[in-house]
Amino acid sequence: MNNIFKGFLVAIALMMSSFAAKAQEAGGTLAFLVQPEPPTLASYVSTSGPIGLVMPKVYEGLFDYDNDGKMVPMLAESYEMSADGKTVTFKLRKNVRWHDGKPFTSADVKFTILEVLKKVHPRGPNSFREVSRIDTPDDHTAIFHLDNPAPYMMRSFSAYESPMVPMHLLEGQDVKSASLANNPVGTGPFKFVEWKKGQYIRLDKNEDYWQEGLPYLDRIVGRFIPDASTRTAAMENGEVMYAAYNAIPNIDAVRLKERDDIGVTTDGYSMINPMALIEFNTIEGPFVDPAIRRAISTAIDRRFMIDTIFFGYGKPATSALSSNFKATNLHAAMPNYPETGDVAAANAMLDAAGYAKDANGVRMRAVLDIIPYGEDWRRAGEYLKQVMGDIGIEVELRYEDVPTWLKRVYHNYDFEMNINYFYQLPDPVLGVHRHYGTNQIRQGTHFVNSSRYSNPELDALLDSGSKEPDAAKRTATYKEVQEILAQDMPVVNLFELEFLTVYNTQLKGAYGSAMGAYGSFREAWLDD
Amino acid sequence: MRDFWNRYKRNRSAVFGLVVIFLVILMAATADLLYAFDPFRLAGKPLSSPGTNGFLLGSDSLGRDVAAGIVHGAKTSLLIGLVATLVAVFIGILFGALAGYYGGQIDNILMRVTEVFQTIPSFIFAILLVAILKPSIYSVVIAISVVSWPGVARLVRGEFLSLKNREFVQACHTLGMSDLRIMLREILPNCLSPIIVIGSLMIATAILIESGLSFLGLGDPNIMSWGFQIGAGRTMLRSAWWVCTFPGVAILITVLAINLVGEGLNDALNPRLRERN
Repeated sequence: MNNIFKGFLVAIALMMSSFAAKAQEAGGTLAFLVQPEPPTLASYVSTSGPIGLVMPKVYEGLFDYDNDGKMVPMLAESYEMSADGKTVTFKLRKNVRWHDGKPFTSADVKFTILEVLKKVHPRGPNSFREVSRIDTPDDHTAIFHLDNPAPYMMRSFSAYESPMVPMHLLEGQDVKSASLANNPVGTGPFKFVEWKKGQYIRLDKNEDYWQEGLPYLDRIVGRFIPDASTRTAAMENGEVMYAAYNAIPNIDAVRLKERDDIGVTTDGYSMINPMALIEFNTIEGPFVDPAIRRAISTAIDRRFMIDTIFFGYGKPATSALSSNFKATNLHAAMPNYPETGDVAAANAMLDAAGYAKDANGVRMRAVLDIIPYGEDWRRAGEYLKQVMGDIGIEVELRYEDVPTWLKRVYHNYDFEMNINYFYQLPDPVLGVHRHYGTNQIRQGTHFVNSSRYSNPELDALLDSGSKEPDAAKRTATYKEVQEILAQDMPVVNLFELEFLTVYNTQLKGAYGSAMGAYGSFREAWLDD
Repeated sequence: MRDFWNRYKRNRSAVFGLVVIFLVILMAATADLLYAFDPFRLAGKPLSSPGTNGFLLGSDSLGRDVAAGIVHGAKTSLLIGLVATLVAVFIGILFGALAGYYGGQIDNILMRVTEVFQTIPSFIFAILLVAILKPSIYSVVIAISVVSWPGVARLVRGEFLSLKNREFVQACHTLGMSDLRIMLREILPNCLSPIIVIGSLMIATAILIESGLSFLGLGDPNIMSWGFQIGAGRTMLRSAWWVCTFPGVAILITVLAINLVGEGLNDALNPRLRERN
């Protein structure tokens, strides 16, 4: 009667086979780039990128996710979900100890979820919003009681997204200011040793790690090098062996790739899922009519943008959802997203919608705001200005500093269209709903529905998408969502950004997690 | 006038500078004839090297014509250089004349204000101003003027201080001329030569500041300029040298020429220095 979700046997088998496949060598120090220097080490308070590079080596999550998006058991050995999706029982691993020697128990899980992540984590309140109560019948069982089914919650148990923290070092203190922040004590494969400000963070091997034989490395050193060309040089002469999140600029990565001892990969970012896009003001200004927004999407040569501006790294968008959601069967390719652009068709669409060109070939004038995150985005804006000129939309570019830009778009709604990028995260509920839902029109909150697009039909679909435990029904729901969005297009997706990880080929075993650089490195080893 | 030209042409390099500036002005004036299209237009294959695919000086990462950018960018550079200098000279003369002529408390207050502006490093101040005002051609002109005028003010004040006690000025007082008339009609014309020299050199500085701002991405994103071209091409210097080399050469030649002309003007207008070579 209970529809039991289970089965990490495949994942375990995969893990085991990787043990057997090659004789890994233990020992050695891995130096890698952490860019920029993290503000704190409290990964349970901040999701800031550089914290994510360091802390998942120290703190662990209940699960990890492999490159196919499958769950890999970490601190939890397995889970069972009830048929109504409202009760999830986690079986926790035994013999796990915190770095200070105290045992890890279900009380830590309960405390972490309810008192830490749900209260002070940026995304935790959303990921765990349905969790009302956690029962701990024994030290190794945690039963989550949900108000509504929350399938997306199962995508947020990684060490980066939801690190398990020690209750005995936080209880009774103000979580945000507790001294654990910069003296982290986790259960992970590496122990925190030292943070030399401005230089490096040092982590040493946890000799009592729960998985026998792991980790292989003796030491991990995260180095901070502010200058991009110095970072590239450090990679070139082997001083550092791993650099993720474009710490090495694309242009240099393309050059380094030619060397035998350096590799470049785009794996390890599927849980982040960055998407470049244009947000439109759908309430006032020139883009109130969805026909114009569809025409713009049709005209854009996404392939050209990827090839010329991002050196070929990126995938043309084909829908409101990233193609990385194919892993969970939620993605469906949609019309109005031609890969190389169709200016003639776009012109025809605007003609048909009744927007005539004047003597200068101009149908309308508009201002395009550009995300102030660097040169690449300016190039993107310059390209879009040209292509919109081809379909009779005369564009003026506006480039401001970050606070002014955020205020204009998310506080004052004083914009017409805006180039931006969003993390779609491992589930649409976590990363995509915020862009389209009526309840996400939150003036003053950054990176939500600034288009002020509101469609009750879509709201209903999004609501059922976040509560539907049945995978097939969820696929159908999100197909409808994507169909509506491909018609209304409050946001035109441009392309899926691909961040680059540059690595020294001596470093093996660091690429198996979907979390990529936000993974634990417990299976990483050095091949001489 | 003839006398002036005779003195000017004695400085050969100043004549050369004048010819170069004339050519740059000619290029800017005929930009819309030479390249009768938007220099931001995607004109062809990205990163074509000079002489290929119909690009005289190659194309940049988006396939924009570098030569068209240089020709159209000349308009921007010259315009910003001239306008910003005129504004700065106007403010400088105003402050310097009032301070030098009246002296006392007025001088004190105006020069303290001038010093405030002088103590802030000018390029960083310009960056700050453009960032606050948001990048546009107007904010760039304002920023350059605001950081450039104190030098003029100091110079003009010095000239006014030395001229105001001369006999011809005292004679004017005796004749009952108004202060304004004395300043504008009597003293100012007598200190025009150093103002012209400093002004001509300021045009070169203004062009450099504008290029620096555009290079850092603080130029007007809708207007082509040499600094913008260099900034857009600097990441690919190792693979596509032509994208920033040619605009860089354009800046170099123009700024050098303006400096040479400024030098020539100095020689021609300051007879006391005539024999210094």
